[in-house]
Amino acid sequence: MAGEHKQWNSHSAHVITKQRWEIGLFQPLRHGLSDDLEYATYPLWFFVMPNVSFKKAHEDRGSAKTASRLSIVYPTPLLNMLSNEGIGGLIDPNITMPPMLGLSGSLLMSWDAFGVMVTSKAGIDLGLSMGKLDTRSNIDLPIVYHRLEVFHNKWGVHAGLDLTKDMTRHLQLFVDLDVRLLPGLEKRNEDQSYQMHSGNHSIEHKLLLIWSRSSRFRIITGYKLVSGDFPHGNETRLLPYVPMLEKWVPIIELQWAR
Amino acid sequence: MKHYVAILVFLFLQGCEPFVSEFPDSSEPLTFKASNVETGSSVYQGGSIKVLTWNMRFGIGRFPFFGDSCGEDVIADEQTVTQTMEAIVDTLNVIDADIVLLQEVDLESKRSGYWNQIQYLLDNTNLNHGVYASTWKADFIPTDGIGRINTGNAILSKYPLESAERIQLRLRTDQSSLVQYFYLRRNILKAEIPELTMDQKLFFAVNIHATAFATDDTKQQHVNKYLEVLGNIHSSGNVFISGGDLNAVPPDAVTDYCMNDMCSGENYHVEGLEPYHKEGSYFENFLGEPDILSPLYDSYQPAIHEDFRNNPEHFTHAPTTSMIDGNTHRRHDRKIDYLFTNLNWEENSGFTHQGCWEVSDHMPVSATLSPTITN
Repeated sequence: MAGEHKQWNSHSAHVITKQRWEIGLFQPLRHGLSDDLEYATYPLWFFVMPNVSFKKAHEDRGSAKTASRLSIVYPTPLLNMLSNEGIGGLIDPNITMPPMLGLSGSLLMSWDAFGVMVTSKAGIDLGLSMGKLDTRSNIDLPIVYHRLEVFHNKWGVHAGLDLTKDMTRHLQLFVDLDVRLLPGLEKRNEDQSYQMHSGNHSIEHKLLLIWSRSSRFRIITGYKLVSGDFPHGNETRLLPYVPMLEKWVPIIELQWAR
Repeated sequence: MKHYVAILVFLFLQGCEPFVSEFPDSSEPLTFKASNVETGSSVYQGGSIKVLTWNMRFGIGRFPFFGDSCGEDVIADEQTVTQTMEAIVDTLNVIDADIVLLQEVDLESKRSGYWNQIQYLLDNTNLNHGVYASTWKADFIPTDGIGRINTGNAILSKYPLESAERIQLRLRTDQSSLVQYFYLRRNILKAEIPELTMDQKLFFAVNIHATAFATDDTKQQHVNKYLEVLGNIHSSGNVFISGGDLNAVPPDAVTDYCMNDMCSGENYHVEGLEPYHKEGSYFENFLGEPDILSPLYDSYQPAIHEDFRNNPEHFTHAPTTSMIDGNTHRRHDRKIDYLFTNLNWEENSGFTHQGCWEVSDHMPVSATLSPTITN
């Protein structure tokens, strides 16, 4: 069980086996550098949004595995691409995003409880901006808004709980709940005024069914539910959602390993 | 476990709200009420009834918005919106109309700072009740940074509004499916004002914002529907005040403003060059368009008499970046905003408030109803 946890579980405190590679359609490329250190990156995004994260294992706490993760992202090139005229312009084209660096540090702890692998995590997010960040530069979409808002608010905190259970030899169930908070950012105020930045929290929940054909390939399906406070009020959205069809479609993810 | 499932089902339903709102032919608009209503202020005390129509351009004043002028800006800054909304409030309080028909009112749209403009106006003016019908409502418009949008027509009144109805107008047919999906859905907003019932004749307020940029016959369809709605009220023996931004010039008016509205780098009226005319600036897109408003003038009472409807002092619109020369804004060069009734306006009460040119690219039009009925 412990050996298996080292595979596929990028969200847990388990570090991937040394020299093993894992990648998915939407999951990052993950590689074990040593027995207690791994790195991960989204390789396709890297050209427009350089990103990397490192996870380092620490001493066990009783039967619980512990680790810390540091993520670094430079979103400026991607955001400036999205700040354009016409279709695909998600940010006002008159706005130029300054150089920005996002840092996220988390502490992770994983343990087995009654046949369920439980992972708890908590951490701090920092949004550093090396220039003037226009207050009108937000993207008011679920998932995106609160992650970008860290740069306006300068910092945030996050916490979460993941549960993974083997249903059969090849089938796994994964459920998680994550909270993002932006302390200092106000809840939407109701006094009818200009408020480009309000909405101090979001909650994300995911349920996945995972079928592992082998230690080298697996298929994942499920849903993600996002609920948060935004400048326009509270919004809940089931993802993935296809706008023109006005339908939810299940997540389809394929992952490979070597 | 049961509770978990129930909560999940609830959240699932919440999470599947349409991304872009499409509307049935008839639906119920949103209702609003001022946070503090003075005792007695919602009761009609008799006397004249003042009516105003105004396309308030979502509180951005003369901000060079990319969508309706030669501007390039999209998201208005806080100072612009705050000052303009305050100016709109001041204007409404000075004019002190009993019934206000508004077009281009934003409700928690990113472009105007997520302001609930309807509630703000109700809370800061003498108006107590409001209804609102979206013309454009989407979680996110992935174009030019617009983001979340909810904008539309509103009727604000000192007196309670009931039986409000949002009447969907035909969509443009000169657009691709993708553009049409994310585009405006124009409507007529109608509401009854029971306090103003006269000799058992029900009193209605009807607000319209017709298509601006269609190059097909959509505008004719919108005016036809408008005439149908007004005709139904009139033929039922009831009374109405109505108006809005019809995006149509009066009969006998100039119909070509392409050169006035032309932006730097654009060319119009050049053979072989498409488009020949600028969208929204030419009013002969189909046979009969110059006279499209004649049935309204023939059947009902205009606030601005037809003898004066084409006079410059009653012009209500010019794009915000329209210039006469390098230094002088063209403030208004056409009339496209109107008030009509099947009652009678008090003589000479019709007025076009051209002093408001800094507060919007449209001028408000007001008039006062005589409280006696003459059909």
